[in-house]
Amino acid sequence: MTQDLRVPWEEDPGDLYENAPCGYLTTLPDGTIVKVNETFLAWTGYGRGELVGRRRFRDLLSADDQIYHETHYAPLLNMQNDVHEIAFELLRADGERLPILVNSTLGRDPAGMPRVIRTMILNATERRGYEKELLAARLAAEASERRVRVLQRTVADLAAAPTEAEVSDAVVRAPGPAFGAVSATVWLADRDRDQLAAVTSTDSASMARDDIPRGSSRAIAEVARRGDLHVIGSLDEAEEHFPELAVTMRRTDRGTVVLLPLTAAPADDPAAVEVLGVLGFDFAEPHQLSDSELGMVRLLGHQAGQALDRARLHDDARRREGRAIFLAGTTRALEVLPRLGSRARKLVERLVPEIAEWAAVRLRVGEAGVLADAGGPAPDPERLADRVAQVLLDGTAQFTDDDGLDAECAVLPLVANGRVFGTLALRMPPDRRTAAAEAGFLTDLADRAGLALENARLHEQQRTIARTLQRSLLAGELPADPRFAMETHYQAAAHDLDVGGDWFDAFLITPDRLAVVVGDVVGRGIDAATTMGQLRSAIRALASAEAGPARLLERLDRFVERVESARMATVAYAEIDLAANEMVYACAGHLPPLLAEPGAAPRYLLEARSGALGSRAGRRARVEQRTPLPPGSRLLLYTDGLIERRNRRIDAGFEVLARTYAGKRDSPLPGLTVALADMLVGQDHADDVCLLCLALGTERRLDRRIGADPVQIALLRKDLRGWLVAHAVDDESAEAVLLACSEAVANAIEHGYRDDPLGEVDIVATVSPEAVDVRVADQGVWAEPEAGGGRGRGLQLIRKVMDEVTFEHGAGTTVTMRRLRGRAPR
Amino acid sequence: MTDRWVTFARLGEADLVRLAGEIDLANAPEIGREIVRRTGRAAAVVIDLTAVSFLDSAGVRLLDALVGDLDTQGTPIRLVVGAAGAARMTLQLCAFRDDLLTTDLARAAEELDR
Repeated sequence: MTQDLRVPWEEDPGDLYENAPCGYLTTLPDGTIVKVNETFLAWTGYGRGELVGRRRFRDLLSADDQIYHETHYAPLLNMQNDVHEIAFELLRADGERLPILVNSTLGRDPAGMPRVIRTMILNATERRGYEKELLAARLAAEASERRVRVLQRTVADLAAAPTEAEVSDAVVRAPGPAFGAVSATVWLADRDRDQLAAVTSTDSASMARDDIPRGSSRAIAEVARRGDLHVIGSLDEAEEHFPELAVTMRRTDRGTVVLLPLTAAPADDPAAVEVLGVLGFDFAEPHQLSDSELGMVRLLGHQAGQALDRARLHDDARRREGRAIFLAGTTRALEVLPRLGSRARKLVERLVPEIAEWAAVRLRVGEAGVLADAGGPAPDPERLADRVAQVLLDGTAQFTDDDGLDAECAVLPLVANGRVFGTLALRMPPDRRTAAAEAGFLTDLADRAGLALENARLHEQQRTIARTLQRSLLAGELPADPRFAMETHYQAAAHDLDVGGDWFDAFLITPDRLAVVVGDVVGRGIDAATTMGQLRSAIRALASAEAGPARLLERLDRFVERVESARMATVAYAEIDLAANEMVYACAGHLPPLLAEPGAAPRYLLEARSGALGSRAGRRARVEQRTPLPPGSRLLLYTDGLIERRNRRIDAGFEVLARTYAGKRDSPLPGLTVALADMLVGQDHADDVCLLCLALGTERRLDRRIGADPVQIALLRKDLRGWLVAHAVDDESAEAVLLACSEAVANAIEHGYRDDPLGEVDIVATVSPEAVDVRVADQGVWAEPEAGGGRGRGLQLIRKVMDEVTFEHGAGTTVTMRRLRGRAPR
Repeated sequence: MTDRWVTFARLGEADLVRLAGEIDLANAPEIGREIVRRTGRAAAVVIDLTAVSFLDSAGVRLLDALVGDLDTQGTPIRLVVGAAGAARMTLQLCAFRDDLLTTDLARAAEELDR
């Protein structure tokens, strides 16, 4: 126990109580104030008389604290007899609040009942202020930390975003969590068009849809020009400087708008800042941004700008790579198409929509020219025609049209051998780079397309010449004679191949001696066509009544020594003696002729074979073979295109041809060669096909079978007419037989088969010096004609023009008709 | 498709229909449709058959129907068939009215003008 140190002056306990550096209150257990010191009165501004005996301690507390007093302070004091450092707010006499800390002790009487409460009050104003500051600082730190976290994440997103679109997406998401913005929008600078385009927004309603020219007075353009962060703090401020922005703010109910340029500076020149875009974000209420927030905002602008710059470089590189692939692909795609028209079409089809929204190729080729276009909308035709004419004239590309309404439409010249022979016009889609920005690529494209199209044009020209030449050579008149009939067919290869060197020919050496030829020159195109022409003429010149096929081939061998391109040509050649019904033939390396004699299966003529013309390895000794050719024989000469197929062996081809030919034995000669070509090779064939079918002599008996197809009647008539003429039947009788036969066949097709295309009609005609007899038979169902019907008229006609007519109905109908020759007209 | 067989022209006030080649079951219905389509509002019709090399009953049916329709409408019609030939033979065999048949175009025009 230590003793008090004595102070050098008299310490008055009363004064110590009254003026102590803390307040003292003595109250009854119910809180009624019974004693209070001067310090408390001075702090609270109450007079002693207002408090003592009149107020309880808790009456001096704020409403919240009165509750706290009842629920916490009073029970605690009652239980432990003392409480420490309870924080209250006192209401001063003037209504101001006074933060205090309270220690109280509860005194009890000897019976243990509460007797008195003594309370010491400390002024906590200072301390409370400090606490508040601490709290504010902590909140600020937390907000800052959140901002930093958001920005860090944004920066990480930006680094990972390879394209402008992804950068924009990352940037537009930042202001919400980082600064508490309501919505945000990103505009990107379009360097080609010198404007700003809104690309993405968190709030579609607030996003400006139109593009903003860089020179515009609008706030976004202003910020993009200046490259400075701009905060429009209130509606008033907006109204003063940017009325358009004020309208938007009022519409969307915004209090503050922040416009941040997204900037990048090249590493070697930090002063040359380029604005690549603008980030706008806004707040519902007027909002003050702290300095640290503004710093963060600026940082975001730099980071986003750099990411955009990187993305642009990346986009450029990728676009360049895409363009290179496109060019190479286009060149390849054009090369596989031989025709000019299809190349032009392919070109525009590749351009739209990958490169352009509309494209057209115009070529000054031929009289009509070539035009291929794709996509749309097409530009104004008059304006386009003017520009095309200008480009054709001066050969300078127009990437834009500053005078016209369609500024984005480009016209490029297509040049070959220094000559502008066409134009490529196109319009880029509005959301892509302009034609002017793609000038290098488009020029490259036009150069390549020009070359490919010019090659096709030259090729086409040669083809046309070769085709014309070949046509003119094949078109020569074939001899006509009642003693024979002939059908030829030439079918060019599919797939746009050049003309081949196949040919046929027939001519009379003497009035009784007919020569027929089918041959094939090696190679294709204009050389093959001219060589074919030379060989054809040579054969006509060298054939003579005395020579015969073997001698002719020997002479051709000598001819080939001089005309090298004719070497290895193959020829099937036959001379027919029309008086003796006999044939001499020879084959120089050519496929064997196929002969169908009346009443016998077709056979290949395999004798008289030797090597191709001028062949060094083949048998050079030219041989010939003589064979009788009874009237009614049909001889078929053909080139290898008819039977050769990649997926079929040649001996199988021979079999198929012989079978098909046998099946067509009774078909009318007209149309026979076309039908054979259709059945053996169809339309999709890789080689030219050339056919010559000679029907020899006049059959005593014409035996034909046709399908139940009205079109076939005309072919039959043609055959029948030739047969009647060959037998010197008078015109009147011939017309009568033709009409009656037609009607009988038509009746069989129309009524017997009721247009059943699988039905067949057999026609047999015989001639004697007195009469022509015709029998028409079908296997259809006979139906009695109604009186006065159209069909009755047909049957009537038969009865009128023929002298005897009988109808037999069994399994089908047979009409037997006779017409007397040379009878007087009725 | 029918151009090979039928062409159209004017002969004064009348519509001139020129037929050529072989008219039979295979092409007559199509030719008929084409003629009706092209001469629906004609004041008069002249059908020139001089170049027809064959005419069967289907062709006769076509002409018969045509004449019937035009008669009903009161439209004058003439068939020019030449002095001989396949068409004349068939039409005579079918006993077409003499007032319908003429031998040349000039006469047909003259008759219609009356």
